[in-house]
Amino acid sequence: MIVSAFLKSLFRRRGRTLLALAGIAVSAALLLDMTMLASGLAVSFGELLGASGYTLRVTPKGILPFDSEASIDDGAGVARRIAAVRGVRAVAPVLGAQFRIVRGDSTGAPVFTVGIDPRSEFLYRLDSGRQPGPGELVVSVPLARDLGLKAGDELALAGELDVTLGRARATRRYRVSGVGDFLYDYAGEHSLAMTLPDAQAATGRAGSVSLFGVATDAGVADDSVVRRIAAAVPEVSAWSTRQLMGEMDKRLLYFKQLATILGSVAMVVTALLVSTIITIGVRERFGEIATLRAIGVSGRRVLLAVIVEGLALAGLGCVAGLPLGLWMAGRLDRILLSFPGIPARISFFAWEPRRVALAMGLVIAIGALAGCIPGLGAVRAPLAQALREEAE
Amino acid sequence: MIAALALALAVAQTPTTPAPLPEVLVDRRLAESVPLKPGDTVRVRALAGRGAPRAFVVAGVFEREADPNRISRNEMELRFHLPDLQALLPQPDRVDRFALVLERGARPDSAARWVEGVAFGTRAYGSAALADQASATFRVVSRFHDAIGIVTILASAIFLLCVMIIRVDERRRDMGVLRLIGVSRGTVFRAIVLEAVVIAVAGSAVGAGLGLIAARIVNAHYAAVYDTTLRFALVTPRIVLIAALLGLALGIGAGALAAWRVVAVPPQKLGER
Repeated sequence: MIVSAFLKSLFRRRGRTLLALAGIAVSAALLLDMTMLASGLAVSFGELLGASGYTLRVTPKGILPFDSEASIDDGAGVARRIAAVRGVRAVAPVLGAQFRIVRGDSTGAPVFTVGIDPRSEFLYRLDSGRQPGPGELVVSVPLARDLGLKAGDELALAGELDVTLGRARATRRYRVSGVGDFLYDYAGEHSLAMTLPDAQAATGRAGSVSLFGVATDAGVADDSVVRRIAAAVPEVSAWSTRQLMGEMDKRLLYFKQLATILGSVAMVVTALLVSTIITIGVRERFGEIATLRAIGVSGRRVLLAVIVEGLALAGLGCVAGLPLGLWMAGRLDRILLSFPGIPARISFFAWEPRRVALAMGLVIAIGALAGCIPGLGAVRAPLAQALREEAE
Repeated sequence: MIAALALALAVAQTPTTPAPLPEVLVDRRLAESVPLKPGDTVRVRALAGRGAPRAFVVAGVFEREADPNRISRNEMELRFHLPDLQALLPQPDRVDRFALVLERGARPDSAARWVEGVAFGTRAYGSAALADQASATFRVVSRFHDAIGIVTILASAIFLLCVMIIRVDERRRDMGVLRLIGVSRGTVFRAIVLEAVVIAVAGSAVGAGLGLIAARIVNAHYAAVYDTTLRFALVTPRIVLIAALLGLALGIGAGALAAWRVVAVPPQKLGER
């Protein structure tokens, strides 16, 4: 009864309570967004890395995937040695290169091209057509759209430009076999995929591979396979998704720390807001509380009622803050996804139920704590003095 | 011409040989971590190359320019004479880019078009265009900060309004008495708005002070994390002025709203609970 009487007092000053709820909702939304941002990109990146089923990457020693022009020599031999490692289910070689599309006498901007094993489906999903054979290409959806390409069309590619003669050098013609949805492309990126031997021949890098995607057997821990690959092929670096996410985290340290700082500020604001509202509310009902104590209601019950009031305020604020936070996360994500070179499938904000529950739990706990201080003050105040003040 | 590229140090600090060796400049952080000093000999192999490591003499240690574009990767650097670096790489006689100094009075745009016409497949950028392209990342960060700033202002405005309404509600009886003894609505209104402005401006001043302290902590922290002289947080007079003006505007707004709740009610009703 005491608790419900205290909760009803929140509705007595409706305008004030609504304002406090709005403030807590905004703070809770900001805290939610910062929680989602703190791990969002790494989680989203991790999901993307494993989207094709290839959870490991094998690169030239000490280099992250496509971080330099370095390549692995004798790609076929290295692939065989990796495939022989216990726990490895499949190995997908990739050679990255830049080609220019030649149309008539003109050439376009460099287009990122990968040489792949068409059986692997590692870097793209076919949208239409079929996997490339020798002399064939898969083009990305934006490239197909912008150049009006479809399966069966021909495309001339130049690996080099002759700067002095003013023309493309080493031009080769390829047939488009299909259109693909490239998993790691940024929005609107033009990409191409061809068979690995074609890419090696066109770039003059016979036998070279930029990286391998490695799929592991079900139930085998990625980290143990990484260790076994490192032991079996010491001239390469093997990366598990967890390790790559760790590297990503290092590069995005700024966002992680910004999220921590802003999340902390949001919590402080919530604490200030709830404690201000509860403190004033308790002070206004000082006489009421003194009367309750005078008629025999225990201080513990009164304190509990004040704490529940804080809990209710913070809880309702969280309920309102959750959709607001998700809406804000969508808007902020759109801003951050305009970073140059960020894969279109990545999201900076990840919904992780455990972390979100922790953040909202923190806000509610702050609400309860904020009620403790004024509540204790009210139940510890000298009874006679409180009653006299109320009578005056 | 000097080119910079990240390379793998194969072996460091082998004894200096009497034969003249090509020279290399070493990033201060790399020199500290190996450690290396001028006169030491290092053997270097390009990660992208297939050749054997080559020996170089450390000619000096340099401090890398504080470049925000490279802060996230924060790689250590070596600087070679261009032919030495080209000899390490698989494709000789290649450069990533040229920097041009134009004659006085030459127009960058027409020079750029001329270069593109003469050297097929190249793109020439003026320094302003290059800076604009390089700052794309920071424009996104800036937009993100703006969005967070708007949310923070919203939370602050609600908080201030809440505080003002609570303060005014607490003194409704006093306000009622003032009105009953003849103090005009306008005077009560102005008094409440003035109080809100004082609270907001005082809060802004304290906030600016806290901001200065926070900026110092943030800069010291990131300077240690990235070993850089870059400053991540700046509190400029313009920012302080904007904060003060925002505080003033929020104070007036919150005060006016809180005051309206009091002056709109007949004075005899202000004493009611």
